[in-house]
Amino acid sequence: MDPVVRLMERVRARDVAAFESLYDSYHRLVFGISLRMLGDPMVAEDITQTVFMKVWTSPEAFRGGSFVAWVSRVARNRALDVLRSRGARPESEFPADLPLDGALDDEVLERLDAERVRDALSSLPAEQRAPIEMGFFGGVTHQEIARQTGTPLGTVKTRIRAGLRTLRNRLGEGVPK
Amino acid sequence: MNDATSREHMMELVALYALGVLPREEAALVTAFIANDSAAAEEYRALRAGADALAFSAEEPVDSGRSARMKERLLARVAHEAAARGTTARRRGGTTPGWLLGTGLAAAAALVFSVVTVVQDVSLRGDLAQAQQRAASLTAQLAEGERVGQHDRQMVTDLVASDARRYDVAQGAVVVRGDRLYFALSKLPGLPKGKVYQAWIMPKGAKAVQPSVTFVPNADGIAVVAVSSDAAKLGAVALSVEPEGGSKAPTSRPTFVRPLS
Repeated sequence: MDPVVRLMERVRARDVAAFESLYDSYHRLVFGISLRMLGDPMVAEDITQTVFMKVWTSPEAFRGGSFVAWVSRVARNRALDVLRSRGARPESEFPADLPLDGALDDEVLERLDAERVRDALSSLPAEQRAPIEMGFFGGVTHQEIARQTGTPLGTVKTRIRAGLRTLRNRLGEGVPK
Repeated sequence: MNDATSREHMMELVALYALGVLPREEAALVTAFIANDSAAAEEYRALRAGADALAFSAEEPVDSGRSARMKERLLARVAHEAAARGTTARRRGGTTPGWLLGTGLAAAAALVFSVVTVVQDVSLRGDLAQAQQRAASLTAQLAEGERVGQHDRQMVTDLVASDARRYDVAQGAVVVRGDRLYFALSKLPGLPKGKVYQAWIMPKGAKAVQPSVTFVPNADGIAVVAVSSDAAKLGAVALSVEPEGGSKAPTSRPTFVRPLS
């Protein structure tokens, strides 16, 4: 069984040591997502607290699959809540719970690291990378991306699709099993 | 917009949905599209994996002082929560009235119904702008709260899951995942005025069907409907056209009867 899934089973049984272990492994990721999206270390700290309290108080919310993907989504959604509360930001819908039984499977996802993803991201043409990062970390809709970049809406859609496909393919190549 | 162009446009929206940059009203439209199109579901899963991986690029080293401070705060909250939980559990023992649980279940059922309504009412192949308008009018229902979102996502999760069992019927498929059973239909004939479609369930070993939900497909004959949350006990399902409000027993020839075996 996946070690992280085993840890989550222990968290369900109220095992604080297992919870600490999860925190030690993933707080940099949760903090990093929050900081990247909000730019404020203190708010990023608060979100990190909130996310891990959710892990502790509602471990059943994690329904299998990739823990790292799940906890990242929770962090991003919390950061989006803060962004929305700061102003009239268009509300985008981020699918939170769908399983990832696709080609880039859970095991591969668990083995990815920041450097590998940054390399894959930086290999994308700038016109594809920029809207993807704006959408993911900026929490804006594709219409807003088009408006902010002065790019036709159809072009934004095409670039995001092409960029995500390339990213997924590059991340799936040669990942150690 | 011809069919091919429209479909390509929908596939682009699938990518936007995977990245999480689609406004809620369009997300509802894409949700229904994914549920009815296996290629779209596959594309979604692949692109969603790429989108999820983006989070890794944000991982930051956290200085040891901050890291220790955050952990200390967190563990203090954990200890406090654990103590409060123990107190609450002792207070609750044996005092929760049964009617309160029933009220909660009824509310949950109403929320599920609202989600089904949203999904079945969006158009997949018709005029996109018109479909978006109709989906937008239902956005308020989607915004009802986190529980609605969870049910909505649960349905999509079930419909696209690789471990879901699919039973083909002429109009689409009956989809079973775990205890949940759905009709995902896309070729339903239009209904006469005053009529609705009604789902029927037949428990294993039973000799007669029992009434289930009624629904009206959209203008394109598409409907995605949650029929049962007790699928393991069912031996067959069926569909027929009935008067508005539904019937206690079928009054017309079934549109389909599908054994679940």
